[in-house]
Formats: sequence, structure tokens, C-alpha cells
Amino acid sequence: MIKNYFKVTFRNLWKKKTYSFLNIFGLAVGIACAALIFLWVENELNFNHYFSNRDNLYIVKDQQTYDGTTFTFDATPGPLAQGIKAEIPGIKNTARCTWGDQLLFSIGDKNIYDQGNYVDAPFLSMFQLQFIAGNASTAFGQLNSLVVNETMAKKFFGTTDVLGKTLKVNNRQDYIITGVIKDLPKNVSFRFSWLAPFKIYEENKAWLKEWGNNGIITYVETEPKANITAINKKLHGYIQTKSEEAIAKMSIYPMNRWRLWNNFDTNGNEKEGNLKHVNLFSLIAWIILIIACINFMNLATARSEQRAREVGVRKVLGAVKRKLIGQFIAEALFMSLLATLCALVIITLTLPAFNSLVEKQLSLNIFQPSHISALLIITILCGLIAGSYPAFYLSSFNPVWVLKGLKLKSGSAGVIRKGLVILQFSVSVILIISTIIIYRQIQHVKNRDLGYNKQGLIYTYLNGNMKNNFPVIKNDLIQTGIVQNACLSTNRVLELGSNTGDFQWEGKDPNKQVLITIVGVSPEYISTMGMQLVQGRDFNKDIKSDSNNIIINETLARMLGKSDVVGSLVTRNNGMEKYTIVGVIKNFIYNSMYSPAAPLIMYSDTSGANVLSVRFTQNADIKTALAKTESIIKKDNPGYPVEFSFVDAEFNQLFKTESLIGKLAGVFATLAIFISCLGLFGLSAYLAEKRTKEIGIRKVLGASASGLAGLLSKDFIRLVIISCVIAFPISWWIMHNWLQGFEYHIRISWWIFLMAGLMACVIALITVSFQAIKTAVVNPVESLRAE
Amino acid sequence: MIKITNLEKIYRTEEVETVALNKLSLEVKEGEFVAVMGPSGCGKSTLLNILGLLDDPDAGSFVFNGIEVAKFNERKRADLRKHNIGFVFQSFNLIDELTVFENVELPLIYTGVKSSDRKKRVEEVLDKVQIMHRRNHYPQQLSGGQQQRVAVARAVVNNPKLILADEPTGNLDSSNGNEVMQMLTDLNEQGTTIVMVTHSEHDSRYSHRIIRMLDGQTVLENIMV
Repeated sequence: MIKNYFKVTFRNLWKKKTYSFLNIFGLAVGIACAALIFLWVENELNFNHYFSNRDNLYIVKDQQTYDGTTFTFDATPGPLAQGIKAEIPGIKNTARCTWGDQLLFSIGDKNIYDQGNYVDAPFLSMFQLQFIAGNASTAFGQLNSLVVNETMAKKFFGTTDVLGKTLKVNNRQDYIITGVIKDLPKNVSFRFSWLAPFKIYEENKAWLKEWGNNGIITYVETEPKANITAINKKLHGYIQTKSEEAIAKMSIYPMNRWRLWNNFDTNGNEKEGNLKHVNLFSLIAWIILIIACINFMNLATARSEQRAREVGVRKVLGAVKRKLIGQFIAEALFMSLLATLCALVIITLTLPAFNSLVEKQLSLNIFQPSHISALLIITILCGLIAGSYPAFYLSSFNPVWVLKGLKLKSGSAGVIRKGLVILQFSVSVILIISTIIIYRQIQHVKNRDLGYNKQGLIYTYLNGNMKNNFPVIKNDLIQTGIVQNACLSTNRVLELGSNTGDFQWEGKDPNKQVLITIVGVSPEYISTMGMQLVQGRDFNKDIKSDSNNIIINETLARMLGKSDVVGSLVTRNNGMEKYTIVGVIKNFIYNSMYSPAAPLIMYSDTSGANVLSVRFTQNADIKTALAKTESIIKKDNPGYPVEFSFVDAEFNQLFKTESLIGKLAGVFATLAIFISCLGLFGLSAYLAEKRTKEIGIRKVLGASASGLAGLLSKDFIRLVIISCVIAFPISWWIMHNWLQGFEYHIRISWWIFLMAGLMACVIALITVSFQAIKTAVVNPVESLRAE
Repeated sequence: MIKITNLEKIYRTEEVETVALNKLSLEVKEGEFVAVMGPSGCGKSTLLNILGLLDDPDAGSFVFNGIEVAKFNERKRADLRKHNIGFVFQSFNLIDELTVFENVELPLIYTGVKSSDRKKRVEEVLDKVQIMHRRNHYPQQLSGGQQQRVAVARAVVNNPKLILADEPTGNLDSSNGNEVMQMLTDLNEQGTTIVMVTHSEHDSRYSHRIIRMLDGQTVLENIMV
């Protein structure tokens, strides 16, 4: 019996090649697309799974509430790690870790910057890093030891056999390599090439001993069966037992949630993070599969008349409905299997492009149980979804009617077919509208006036004697004529990481803390950035003369509640430190590009400076400007390679997630409409074929080819218009909600809907008019003879 | 073999009610060759469909081989049909995607005959209808007469007790038509009961008895001598 089914299926496929191609290719594209998305989803769900001990690993979160708003940070005080390990039961290990440091490593004539972290020794065993050479227990046995990954070892020495070798760090100290670890995969939360003992970092940093100063990350490993609620209960008020004034409330946050959650609202409650995207894209994957399955259903029912006789004969010969349903479902499963095989080819061909789009290293391995079983499930589901309706429809034919060659009643099938086309196009239109809106939102934020000029602005991190030599460097740079100005600051302008809540001013409720961002700058900062003073003056060239003066932003000025704040005093440290406001700058956007500027204070102070920013002249040739800047910095700060970053490029990087969503939505919208059009093409071909006689008669009676093409296309266009009517409010609702997640967002304009609707209509028209024109221009004698 | 009593079949649409069979009663004995004749719309085909268990009556009794089958469900009807009844249609109704051999084999597949037995029986019957040399051809590659011979082969491959033929020569020229009628006569002589719907007086002469129908009822029976 199965052999008989297989034969009929195969011969049917072979006989109707266009139909088979449309069906299998459409389904293959759908399956390939879904499989790619599922690979991405798998990668996201398996994030940090490299760490087998992940169920017991945590990061310490720090929540601070100012005026009813809770901010959640990863920053913790230096003494915390040691304190909680000793005092809170259930905590097995703790490790301090820096935010990430870029150090210059040198050996011979090789001078290369590499990113890494200073960590406590338990870090190596807590995360069970896999040592190729050395081991976790001895690696940090001496102070200046260094654990490097495979790539870094090979970069400097061409081999991983490097134990005992030394690398000079920042042209000052020699670090001895005491361990080589395997490279971490891409889907983990860490990005480091080297790890060095935290003790090195700790030297001369008094703030690391303060309980009120949150400046480093603390990781925790718990006992396997530890009571996490009890640990968190103890941690909550733990800091306050050490320092009464501290307002930070600590808790541990599991590694298993770092990737997909790790988002906190202003009440301090956990929210979905990346999980939102994982869910969204999984949904899209299923939708695309269903769109592809719909093609199958529609084409199968549309050409049902051609299968009707077979159904009739089989019934007469004793086949019961159940057997016929089985036959048609088996046929659909076979097609779905063929589609999956084609999809494998499509996936292999498109995976590199998809990887570069999503910036991952995804790979499909059909020998991997999870992959092969996922493919099988998709194949079976597609076969069942696509095959079930045609199977029930075809098997319900009355043999008496079909064998007599009587016209089949297409009533329910016709309505369902139209409904399915409407569903396909509604989804396509929703995706088109969403793509346009996401794209416009990203552009809207990218074009936002940041309050300074990000073009022609570069920065580099300070090293060697750059800070001391700054006046010389600046002078030399300006002398080139290509550089307009240069300045120093504690942070890069896009991300100002220091803040404090202990400022007071006249009229402020002393019990209410306001979180204020602070940044130390050199006097050239405002002019170099292209920021605008709205009150008062800029800092004096002589830094010392402004040591007790500050410049604030408009947000803070408004909080002061006076129209003219220049000359007002703000105090810090219980009134011990007094600062006079000498100027107010126009708000500029930092940290979150979607939010308004948070209150900010600028000091004229370069003692903590880490960043040198350089502004090129307006018409400077970037290549020449970079080359000249590099040679000057090298000359004035020898022994250090110079690495620049462009502020506008880094700015664009901030929209990585949104850009990815935008790009993927675009790709999915294109695919959805492509698959829908494949179905529409097939459907229009069959319906045109069915109306051959009608067309012939109409032509004989004087209808024009264009009129007939219009007649044949009209019904489909009507369906697309209905799809638009359904899709518009749904997409408005979805995108309206999406935009609410951004404080700075676009308004949804009516023309987006018009454009998406027109696009869908035009694409559908092109698809169906091909068949319509083909049928309409046939000689009526031919079409009537065919009858 | 067949005994129907007061059989009724009414087709209803939203506006019209058509009585296809109106309290029809008739009997067909085992080994008989009966021709059913009458003008279009008189209910011949409806009768044949009910006899073939393809359609169910609205009222009345239908006893087949001593069993009342009028109220049988689809599964029971299909089961009875595939073991006992063969069909020959005017338009042959062969499956285009299957070869001659495979078309004839199909009823044996549905009755669960083993593959080796199937081959033997299909070859025997193809030989009998003299189409063996075309066993690997597809229906479109055959003439009308050849297609109808394949259809007859398919109808008899299961050795049914009853063959129902719906205008079996309607699409054939006279020589092919005569060949098919001869085949049916031969089968009847070998013991198969045949009920044939026809418009052709010529074909009806091959039967033992002609039942003439009008408006869903039998109006006359001619016994052929």
C-alpha cells in the first residue's frame, strides 16, 4: 500500500513539475528560514552553557533607590566578596573582577593591546576554565602572573607551550605566564584574552576598601543545595551592617538568567531581556512555516479536481476515508521531507551570510541529536499542518459525483483558500509595516541631536605618559592644521559611568538623594565636543583656578529651581566639599540614547582622566588626519601603539540590537512575501487554467486582453486589500507597544501603512498578472478546443 | 442475491426536491445478467450507486446476499464492496498516475492480498482481457477500447460476485463495444452476476432481463429469450 502511495505521489510530482516546484521550494524556503532562526534561538538559549557549574554561579546585583526610582547595577564594593564568603552560609566562593581592561603587552618588537580582567584566584575554578597548560589552583601563585587564552598565546609566541614566558605590560612590568586556557566560545558572557590577579589591580586603590564605593564586579559560587532566598535575605541589608550611610541593597543573580533576563524596571523588578527577542523570533519562525504550509494547502485544494477521480476510484475499490486521509497526509509528509532536504542545501548556502548578519558562529550539524530531531519535528509538523486540510477535503469527495465528472462544489474550500491567502498577506503586510517602523525608529534616534557634534570626533584611551604630555600632544596636534582641538576626560562621551547621590544644594530635601553623573574633564572639553553653554562661562585654561568650580547640565539646573544658577553652591560629603556653579551647558545625550539627559556635573579635573578625545577640522581628510594624529601621539608617547575609536561608529554600535531586529524583520518580511507570492503564483495559474473556457467565450464575445487580465487579477487584489485592512490595526497595535519601550520615539505616520499596502498590492499584482496576461492572450480557438 | 424493497432516494437542494427512486422494488438472482434502461434522470444511475454501496437509500430495504445493508456505515459498506462488487464505468476511470498493471492491482491491495499472489492474479486477468502486452503502459497511452478492457480486468480481478456496469460501451466504437459486451457475457457465463445500466438496445440484448425505469420506478420488465 505504502509503495502504491509513494508511486502515485512521485508520479504526480513529476507530472506537475511547476506545482511541485512551487510547493517544495516554498516549503523549503520556509523550513530553511525557520531552521536558521531556531539555530539562533538555540544559541541564545544555550548561552553560558559552556560553564557546567552554571547552576551555582551568580553575579552580585546592587540596587539603589533615589526618589522612588530604583537603579540596578553590577557594581559592588571591594570588601564585599571576602565579607559575604566569610559571613553568609551557602556561599562557597567569591571572586572580584574588574570591568575589563585593555593592556599593552609587548615582547620583542610585538606591541599589542589585549582585553582582559583582573580577577581573584577562585574565579578560575568557579568558572571551571579549561587549562591547556598550568592549572587553576597554582596559576595565581605569584603576584605578577598571567593566564592567557590560546589565541593570545599563539599571537605572541606562535604556540600554546608558553608557561614561564614573560610579557611586558604597559611598558612597565613583566607578567609571567602561569596558565593557558582554551578559548571561550562566543556565546558566553565573558570576553577576555587574559586574566591577572586582582591583587595587582588592588594596589594603591584605597576606594577598594570602602563599603560605600561600588566600583567592581563580584561573582559568587553557592553550595550546590544552598538556599538562595536565605542568602539574598542576608545580602539585602548586608552593606548597611558595614556602613550605615550606604543605600545599596545587594542580591545574587543567577548565571542562567544573565542572557535572557537581566533587565530591571524602575521598581527594581526583573524584566525580560533578550528573551523578548527569542520569543519574538521563534514566533516569526513558526509564522513563516505556517505561511509556507498554507501554500501547500491552497495549491493542493485548488487542484483537487485533478485528484478527484483518483479519490473516487479508490473509494469504489474499497478505500475508506481514513485510508485516503492517511494517503494524502503521507503524500504531504513526503513533500515535506523533500522540502527539508532542499532546505538543508539552502541553509548550507545561506548560513555564512546569516552568521554575519546576526554576528554569531552558528552551524548546523545533522548528526547532532538536537538538530536532527528538530529537523524531523519540523518536517513532520509541516507535513501534518500542510497535509491535514487537503487530506480531509479530498477524502470527503463523493465518489458518485466525481466519477460522473460532475462539477465539485468548491464552496468551503474556496472560502478557506481565500481566508488562507488573506492570512498570508496579512502577516506579510504586518512584517513590512514593522520593518519600516523599526527602521525609521532607529534612524530617528541616530539622527537625534545629541547636544554635541559626533562627526570627526575620535578618542583613544590614555597610556604611558599621555596624560602628563597632554599639553604638548595637544599643541602638536593643533599645529598640524587638521586637528581643531583635543581634551581629556574620565570617560568617553557616550558612556559616563560615575555617579553619586550625595550632592546637596539650597532648597533640596536633604533626605532625598538625587543620582548625579559626574565627569572630570580638561578645560577644552566643552569646545572640543562642540557642546553649547547656555549660562555662565566655560572652564578656565588654568585647571587649578577652577578646582572648586563646576559646570552642570540643564536637567540639574532645573532641579536647582532657580532661573539663574550661575554662582550657586552645591556641596558634597556632608558639606565638606563646596563647589560653585560657573556655567550651564545645554543637555547632551549620554548612556541611554532613548532617554532624556540625566543630571550631570562636570569638574575641571584631569587626575582621573582615562580618555583623550580629538576633534578634526571640518574638512579634514580622515585618513591623513588619523595618520598624523597617530604619529604625533607616538612621538610624544613612545613605545605605545595607538588605537583610535570613532565616536560616530561607536554610537552606531549602540543600536546593534535594534539594527539586528530591523534587519531580521526586513529579511523575514521579504521571505514571507516571497513565499506568499509563490503560493499566489501557483494559485493564479490553476484558477486561470480553470477559467480557460470562460476566457475563450469572453474573447469571442469581444473582451480585450487587458480587460481579461484585469478580470483574472481583480479577485486576488481584493484579497490583498482585505489583508491590508486586517493587518493595519494589528501592526499599529504591535508597533505602538514596541515604541512605548523607548522614551524617545517616532510617531507612527499614516503613509507607512499606505506604502506597505501599496507594496503588497503591487507585488501581488505582478505575481498574478503574469498568469492572467498569459491566459488572456491565448487564441480563443485554442482555449475552446481545450474544453 | 439482491433484494430491494420500497427503496427511496430523494435529492434535496435549497429550492428543489428531486425524487430519484420512488418506492422501487426489485430482485436480482445469483448468475443473472440484468440490463437497466430508461430515459435520462429516471434513476438508473442512482439505483446502480445504491446497489454498489456507493450511496445509501433514504428509506426501504436492501438485502445483499441475505444481509440487510441499507443502514451500513461507510466502513462496512467499503468492506462489503471491495470483496463482492466490481465496477465498470462509461469513462473507464483509471488512475492516470498508475500503469495498467498497477491499476488492476489496486483492488487486491485494498483487500490485503499478498504481493506475490497479486502479481499472479493480475497477470492472469490481464491475459484474459488480452492486454498483457501493455501492462507497463499508462492509461493515456491506450485506446478507449484498451482502457475499458483494463477497467473490466480491474473489476474482475477480485473475483466479485457482482459486477455493476454503468454504460460500459458509452465511450467506445461498436467493435470495441461488442468486445466489452462479450467479455461481460463470458464473465456472466462463468457465474458472475451482472447489473448493467445502458441506453443501448443493442447492448441490452446481451442480458437475460431488461428492467425499464421511469421517474424512479420500474415500469416494465422484459425477459430475453
